Amino acid sequence: MTIIQTQELCKRYGTAMRVKELNLQVPEGSIYGFLGPNGAGKSTTLKMLLGLVRSTSGEIQLFGKQMGPRTRVEILRQVGSLIESPSYYGHLTGEENLRIVQTMRGAPAEQIDEVLQIVRLQDQKNKLAAHYSLGMKQRLGLAAALLGFPRLLILDEPTNGLDPAGIQEMRELIRSLPQRFGMTVVVSSHLLSEIDQMADTVGIIREGELVFQDTLAALHGRSRPHLALRTTDNAVARSLLEKQGLGCTEEEGHLILPLLPDHQVAALNCALAGQQLGILRLEERKKSLEDIFLELTGKAASL
Amino acid sequence: MLMRILRTEGIKFRRAPVWAAFLLLPVLPAVLGTGNYLANLGVLPNQWYSLWTQHTLFSSYFFLPALLGVFCSWEWYLEHSGHNMHALLSFPAPPWALCLGKLLPALGISFLSQAVTGGLFLLSGSLIGLTDPVPPELPEWLVCGALGGMAVCAVQLSLSLLLRSFAVPVALALLGSIAGLMLTAQGLGLYFPYSLLALGMRANNPSMELDIRVLVVSSLVYTLLFTLLSIRLLSGRDAPAE
Repeated sequence: MTIIQTQELCKRYGTAMRVKELNLQVPEGSIYGFLGPNGAGKSTTLKMLLGLVRSTSGEIQLFGKQMGPRTRVEILRQVGSLIESPSYYGHLTGEENLRIVQTMRGAPAEQIDEVLQIVRLQDQKNKLAAHYSLGMKQRLGLAAALLGFPRLLILDEPTNGLDPAGIQEMRELIRSLPQRFGMTVVVSSHLLSEIDQMADTVGIIREGELVFQDTLAALHGRSRPHLALRTTDNAVARSLLEKQGLGCTEEEGHLILPLLPDHQVAALNCALAGQQLGILRLEERKKSLEDIFLELTGKAASL
Repeated sequence: MLMRILRTEGIKFRRAPVWAAFLLLPVLPAVLGTGNYLANLGVLPNQWYSLWTQHTLFSSYFFLPALLGVFCSWEWYLEHSGHNMHALLSFPAPPWALCLGKLLPALGISFLSQAVTGGLFLLSGSLIGLTDPVPPELPEWLVCGALGGMAVCAVQLSLSLLLRSFAVPVALALLGSIAGLMLTAQGLGLYFPYSLLALGMRANNPSMELDIRVLVVSSLVYTLLFTLLSIRLLSGRDAPAE
């Protein structure tokens, strides 16, 4: 089942289109990494999913229900969220803050201790939230989002402000949520490495547009090693390759081929030489995930 | 849902610094009023009734609106600080319930402030040795004052929600009270929310003829109007962009 589905979702602020025709598809039980540079429209999109921001046009369906003023409350019963820096009442203790959320969500009172344990704040629960460190506030926010163990968890940059150990811990916690509690998690980040280590499905947004959406494996698939070939006449070389059943693409003056076994490469060399084509470069290349991310988020800028 | 919201609002009032206002704001007019009464015994012959004019002179046009303004500001200030508004609006709760969750505690504060005012009035009178019987109208003055206070709270909550400031709405409450004083002088007090508190209490004029029905209706109408405005403000607007 698709837990979140948006159709042509748009948000305009003044004259600026912050989110453009977004078609999100978040499968049930997935950890959906919502990736994009700062200011790409991630938070705006997540806020629209929660009904905190009104869309300019387009539609949102959560759990198969159309999001709207009439369905919002019913939908939100099944959604836990942590949007931007955590929210807390500084004059109340960690436990009192969670008591508010537990009461509002109608969750059983025992869950307060349960989520405190999950985020390892049980020893600090009687401290005022104002005296918490940034990392503790972030964990308190996550504990609040977990209360009621909702079907869907929406986390906006949850590792912001955490130290490396805290990031590691948060990541492992998030990764465990689908199996432990059957949750679907949407987690946004501007860091590729973070999404790479957490998510199984990825959506990449750039200037409000979704430039990639598929499984993490598919994203990795794009980074498979390949051969790059440059000859004195690429066009002739290309038709020769195609005659041999080798499909290729051209990229920046290079023909891009799949990685071939040695004997096939040798045969290819001979065939090219037989056509009086000089081989200028023949190299094995491997794109890093970083390259692909930059390509997706940066290169499209020239279009 | 509303019961749940009210429970959480109760938690939020724990350790709230605005309780300090409760210690201070009703006591000051009682002390000032009693002092004034004692200093002007020659022109204030009516014992409890005269003392009431002096107490309410300060409280109804200044200290009580300020007290209500402070509490109402606090209620929304909490939500406006940090990202609490996001969290509040992400709960499965309709905006009308969230607004009533702010209004009903404010109404409670309005009644509580009148109870404290009445208590301090009785205490002051006994301390300075008034011998006449306590005015039987006192409970009615206090309840009517609390109802007028309800209208003030509804207006203040809208202002605090709209302005996202703590101090400005409190200042506006004081300005509103001054305007209320002037409108009351022109006989239009029953049609202005900030006058209703003082009129209900029969401030400065315990023998005033007052049509309580008009006061109640006027209070309810203003409360309803401004609560509807708050609901609209809360539901009709995007959460602030970062």
